[in-house]
Amino acid sequence: MEFAANITLFALLQQVLVGLSRTTILFIVASGLSLVLGVLRIPNIAHGSLYMIGAFLTYTIATLFGQSALGFWLALIVAPLCVAVISFLVERGLFCHLYEREHMMLLLFTFAFSLVFGDMVKLIWGSDYRSLTAPLFLQGSFSISGFPFPRYNLFLLIVGPLVAAGLWFLTNKTKIGKIARAAAVDREMVGAIGINVSWVFAAVFVIGCYLAGLGGALVAPTQNITQGMDHAIIIEAFLIVIIGGLGNIWGALLGALIFGLTDSIGILLLPQFAIVFPYMAVVTVLLFRPKGLLKSVW
Amino acid sequence: MKKLSVFYISLSILIIACMFVIAPSSFAAKALKIGIVDCYSGPPAAYTNDVRDAFKLEAEKINAAGGILGRKIEVLTRDSKFKVDLGLSAAKELIYRENVDIMMGTINSALALAISDLCKKEKVPFFVTFAKSAKITGAKGHRYVFSITENTALVGKAAAAGLAKKPYQKYWIAGDDYEYGHAVADGVWNNLKKMKPDVELLGQSWWKVGEPDFTPYITAILSAKPDAVIVATGGRDCVPFLKAAKATGFNERVPFFMHTATELGTLKPLGLNAPENVIGTSNYFYYYPETSANKSFVKNFETAFNRKPAVGAVYGKLAAEFIFGAYKKAGKVDTEKFIDNVQGMWVNSPLGQVTMRAYDHQAMLPMFMGVTKKVAGYDFLIATDIVTIPGKDVMPSIAEIKKARKK
Repeated sequence: MEFAANITLFALLQQVLVGLSRTTILFIVASGLSLVLGVLRIPNIAHGSLYMIGAFLTYTIATLFGQSALGFWLALIVAPLCVAVISFLVERGLFCHLYEREHMMLLLFTFAFSLVFGDMVKLIWGSDYRSLTAPLFLQGSFSISGFPFPRYNLFLLIVGPLVAAGLWFLTNKTKIGKIARAAAVDREMVGAIGINVSWVFAAVFVIGCYLAGLGGALVAPTQNITQGMDHAIIIEAFLIVIIGGLGNIWGALLGALIFGLTDSIGILLLPQFAIVFPYMAVVTVLLFRPKGLLKSVW
Repeated sequence: MKKLSVFYISLSILIIACMFVIAPSSFAAKALKIGIVDCYSGPPAAYTNDVRDAFKLEAEKINAAGGILGRKIEVLTRDSKFKVDLGLSAAKELIYRENVDIMMGTINSALALAISDLCKKEKVPFFVTFAKSAKITGAKGHRYVFSITENTALVGKAAAAGLAKKPYQKYWIAGDDYEYGHAVADGVWNNLKKMKPDVELLGQSWWKVGEPDFTPYITAILSAKPDAVIVATGGRDCVPFLKAAKATGFNERVPFFMHTATELGTLKPLGLNAPENVIGTSNYFYYYPETSANKSFVKNFETAFNRKPAVGAVYGKLAAEFIFGAYKKAGKVDTEKFIDNVQGMWVNSPLGQVTMRAYDHQAMLPMFMGVTKKVAGYDFLIATDIVTIPGKDVMPSIAEIKKARKK
């Protein structure tokens, strides 16, 4: 086993920062998944595919405007909205009729959709991978005591807490958020009070999928936009949701932090085995807290 | 009685007539069938399309001039989708149902080894295009498999030859955590250590194939402060890694080497955003050397397909030259005679003269080492300071092949 030499404090600090920006994407995607899981009790396997669609749409919209700054910002706004619309159509068209049915049906349906979306993406965009560059002022890197820190990662570090704050506001301060939390705990009661639970579900599903699209849009400039994106992210997102506590958004944040930080610090300490670290962390958490770190909604 | 004999006579006339129709057509229409199994979906297609297109161009030229040995050439392609099971069943279909005379393929090393095994059993010559595992002509080589692409052993020797001349002492190795990545890294490092014994390995980083975010790996490598880095990425991760290198300024802080970093297929998608000063080895540039053979090849390819040829096109052309040339020399379509003629044969190509070494059926390809640079007149980066390493200097010795095959 070889440890990386010269692990200075600055290097560690920088790895932490990089890990945190990775956390942002993971948190956004996982929180959407957690929201849907908590309120609708559906493990939405198509969540990863919506993330992938968000990334591809961002590429297309940005390229329409010549991959300029305007194109990117426009794409960042429009692509998640498109994903939200798609999810709305799917929900109203198919899922809402299945809520009364057996749980497995919904799971299978989301799985089927993940396959359908995957092939749809292949049909529309082809199987080549796409590359998107961030707008000019987000390109390049800062130098923090000799180490490069990409500007785009800094941007993600700002966006992350903003989204978290927005979600907190949504679930705690708005009416729809409170109703959603109530429906997560006891949907019969919410129905008994006279609130149309079906529309609550629709709203929550759309918000959750919007978050998936947003994650995909934000990650688009940092990596290759390819076919396998959905499988990679859905596994990580589910693991984060499980260790954080099912349905708990703050659990998703905690899980994303654990995942992202163990990944980047592991890369610094033992780079040959770096892939293993986040999963080892997951296993460790589950050994000690099998129900997840924070309280789960179920 | 009379009716029955009339019946029997007309039946036999009918059967004889059918034989006249079927038999000649089965003789005249018997084409020389070449089966290509490769991945035509996803990112690898960018490389494999060139192989098929260049090969078909040559086949069509020969067909237009009347065919070869009195037969027309028929090229059958099958998509393996980069999956070994799909590719292997496609290969079986081509061999058992279509009765192909020659098999060609594929960019996936695992699939290439599987098809090589099948062709050994069925005694069908198999020309490997693109798959870079050294096992193909090394440990798992046999009479019926040929390679017209460089493999990790050749890359290792060529890269080491180039890197040994540079002043770098402390190295870091990073790459895709799968067979190809480790094979390239081992090839380069073992040869480098032999040529320059005082080089030191500070550490290694291995990420999963298809890793989305290289930033934490890059920052970790930089904190170790190596003199140079050997980056062993496979087809899928070369472009994303170069992108991340540019974004983090990795190429400006530490020199690094990556096989295929100077290739058209890698640099074109990045446009002018590719990192400069990356050391790379490659098999082919359409702009170098400016020999008449290369120039006319580029012109013909561009006229036919409206794009500049990348290295895959040269593999396709080499395959065509070896296969059709050997059949012409053999004088008839006989597998064993064909193989006897391919062994030791040399052909003219855009790379100059290329010989098929008789012992291990490996084409002796030259390697070019260069550095990426922005040059006016191109809207992507090209290789400069190109050093040619001749084929015979990069081939593993026959003793090494013997040793590998004995294991």
